[in-house]
Amino acid sequence: MTETGPQRNMKTATQREEELFDTARKVASPAERQALLDQACGGDPALRTRVEGLLAAEAEAERFFTEGASALNLPTDSLPFPAGTRAGGGAPRTDLPTEEPIGTRIGRYKLLERIGEGGCGVVYMAEQEEPVRRRVALKIIKLGMETKSVIARFEAERQALALMDHPNIARVFDAGATERGSPYFVMELVRGVRITEFCDQHRLSVRQRLDLFTQICHAIQHAHQKGVIHRDIKPSNIMIATQDGVPVPKVIDFGIAKATEARLADRPLVTADAQLIGTPAFMSPEQAAMSGLDIDTRSDIYSLGVLLYELLTGKTPFDAKELLNSGLDEMRRTLREKEPPRPSARLSALPRSEFSKVAECRQADPARLIWMLRGDLDWIVMRALEKDRRRRYETANGLAMDILRYLSNEPVMARPPSRLYRFRKLVRRNRVVFAAGGAVALALVVGLGVSTWLFIKEREARHRAVAAEQQESRLRRDAEIREKITQAALFVSQERFDSADNLLKDITLFQPTVEGAAVFRSVGEWHALHHRWQQAADRFAQLLLVNQLDGVDVATLDYLERGPALIELGDTNAYGQFRQEAIARFAASPGPFADRIVKISLLLPASSRILESLTPLAESTAKSETEADASGDVFSAAWRSVSLALLEYRRGNYTGAAEWCRRCLACPQYNAPRAATARAILAMSDHHLARTDEARSELLASREIIESKFRSGLDRGTPVQGFWFDWAFARILLREATALIETGAGAK
Amino acid sequence: MSEITQILQAVGRGEAGASEKLLPLVYDDLRRHAAVRMAREAPGQTLQPTALVHEAWLRLVGDGDRTWENRAHFFGAAAEAMRRILIENARRKSRLKRGGDQVRVDIDQLELAATTPDDKVLLIDEALEQLQAQDPDKARIVVLKFFGGRTNQEVAEIMGVTERTVERHWAYAKAWLYQIIRTRK
Repeated sequence: MTETGPQRNMKTATQREEELFDTARKVASPAERQALLDQACGGDPALRTRVEGLLAAEAEAERFFTEGASALNLPTDSLPFPAGTRAGGGAPRTDLPTEEPIGTRIGRYKLLERIGEGGCGVVYMAEQEEPVRRRVALKIIKLGMETKSVIARFEAERQALALMDHPNIARVFDAGATERGSPYFVMELVRGVRITEFCDQHRLSVRQRLDLFTQICHAIQHAHQKGVIHRDIKPSNIMIATQDGVPVPKVIDFGIAKATEARLADRPLVTADAQLIGTPAFMSPEQAAMSGLDIDTRSDIYSLGVLLYELLTGKTPFDAKELLNSGLDEMRRTLREKEPPRPSARLSALPRSEFSKVAECRQADPARLIWMLRGDLDWIVMRALEKDRRRRYETANGLAMDILRYLSNEPVMARPPSRLYRFRKLVRRNRVVFAAGGAVALALVVGLGVSTWLFIKEREARHRAVAAEQQESRLRRDAEIREKITQAALFVSQERFDSADNLLKDITLFQPTVEGAAVFRSVGEWHALHHRWQQAADRFAQLLLVNQLDGVDVATLDYLERGPALIELGDTNAYGQFRQEAIARFAASPGPFADRIVKISLLLPASSRILESLTPLAESTAKSETEADASGDVFSAAWRSVSLALLEYRRGNYTGAAEWCRRCLACPQYNAPRAATARAILAMSDHHLARTDEARSELLASREIIESKFRSGLDRGTPVQGFWFDWAFARILLREATALIETGAGAK
Repeated sequence: MSEITQILQAVGRGEAGASEKLLPLVYDDLRRHAAVRMAREAPGQTLQPTALVHEAWLRLVGDGDRTWENRAHFFGAAAEAMRRILIENARRKSRLKRGGDQVRVDIDQLELAATTPDDKVLLIDEALEQLQAQDPDKARIVVLKFFGGRTNQEVAEIMGVTERTVERHWAYAKAWLYQIIRTRK
């Protein structure tokens, strides 16, 4: 055992050294430390030297290790990669250190404590000393990107950010670059937990969750009104702090996504190290499309929808992991095209154990939870998640208002998509929308040569600051308009048309919006039903403009509203212009409802030039009449017959016109205004064919139908019974027929 | 039996070199899991990526019934493997920064205080070899804490000692290692 002896002694020596070091390092006063060492190392100067050496090294050692650890504590993206996984030249730098040792001074701020780490950076609690002494949150961005441009973009938005003043928004104070070159942001320090965690920890009911959510909507609305888009709304950016026992949501990171996401189009959605730019599960389809230019407040509405989805079901509409693993193209396709399951459906599809856990966190039993979500809440969420942003809520307030309506048991505005909408979507999906911007850029390079191209780039850069400012005011204006539209929509739903009309008076829409179209339509109809033809015609004119903004103008029915309004107003000039525009718009691509354009263009007698220009629409109408008839859709066929009758009549082909009228009248599915119209045309045709008796009897029959309707009062109507404008149409033709037959003064 | 399970059992038996075999097999998966998790972590969430990797690793290969001892070995091996990866990474970055092919840090040419975090990691790692020879238990604590990102409590559990002991060893080891680093320079 000669070997173990000295070894044991050595260990004991080390042990003694360690114990003494441990005791001494906790003694703060140098004098007491000396006394302790004097006593413990009495006869062992070597021990004393060693312990003193350790004590002297301790502080420096601590710092050395902390700094060393900062190289290791980098998130996973700093880990080495198997060869070949790193993307080529476009990959952003990732070697910028984002960890700074505690105590480091960055600008005016001193780091106190590392409080967290997110997808895009490390967050510290820091102390600001001047101009005011306060604690702030300091976030060092880790994405390897051009620090200068990040800060420049932040500066561009700083004014707008400064305008935001809302109790549920964490303020952003400052931005800068660390000595090592990483960009950082300084924000109001929020002590709280992320909303999803908070809700589950406190087992908040659906109602309580909705209450928090509407507060968040109002905060986002406030920002939108100041022209600021968040662009990265997700649970980790919404913290719940408790103030006096009341949970208060705080939206953090405003302005940061904007500053850090620029040049999206130039970069992969996922960098080489799986570092996501944006959070895919919360990313709107247009963000995923990465056109990069065209993000507006409605992207935030989408993200709010995802947040609401998760608050209600505990899941995001698309699983983040699956999105990530599906690969880039597939991810984009999913976000842009795939309809997520409704929240209630998503819950029913969960495994039983998971489902009951989700329900428990919401203090509800599973069956009841599904019952609560089905219907209104499903619709509200799905409306916010619409792929086509025009179908989403116009504003965060609109979304909040719909939730409040749900909470107070009022009917919500969100409804399942109409058939018209589906048709539009079908049309849109088949258009080639691919990378128009890219194609243009390429054409420029090829056509102008590289130096010209570089010049243009330069000039673009100079103009960019100006453009950013203009963009901001445009966003503010758009937000105001959307706010008004939402409000007007609410008034319309309450049948307070005058209030709605007041809001609409000075709005000009620049963006297509289904909600906006519906409001203009309703208010226009309200005016029409009260015979205020000028106002009606004006609102319908706006409506037609909105429809055109949509790109594919398929709302032919709306043309039937404006025509009669103009004629009742007596403005034949405006009518003449209106029909020329209508024909020009549809003649090139007559759709399934060309008959409506034919009909509305011939409400007054037409020149041969106009009749000529109607030819393609007329052919299309004849074809669709034959098809409808053959397929048994006699109702539609009869409507098309009326159009063809009017066309032949205006052409002077009275026999043909009479023939079409009879065909229409023979339709077994009766429609009163259609029949009245057909009889009026038939009366005029008979008159020209010198069948005076028949003409008079048809005229009487037509008048009988129309007068009885107007006596009982006109209403908006239905597709089967006929709309108000079908009646207005019939009455205008009846007047013409009356003038022709009874006074002999009809227009030739 | 999968290759991973076989190796895991070898790790469990304390076979030399087993942990080195394990990590490359699962590393890609770990990274992906960790990256997915990281993308969703909030500020306020203090999980270290290394700890995350461990968690992912456990989820990947663990069946929950593993005995405590295997877990301990497992974590030890994981931290050791992690150390290798991190060192490799630090070396790569350090080399990149100097723009040469130098593999070893030439500490003579460096002012200690001016070294980059990556250089510090390399220096610590070198000094750790010496501690390993003299006091393997303390060296293991350094590996678990510094490279493995584990808390005192976790280290205590893994090594079967009290938290207080871990704290004491850790403080001593840091000061000791730093002295070595300084005198070497």
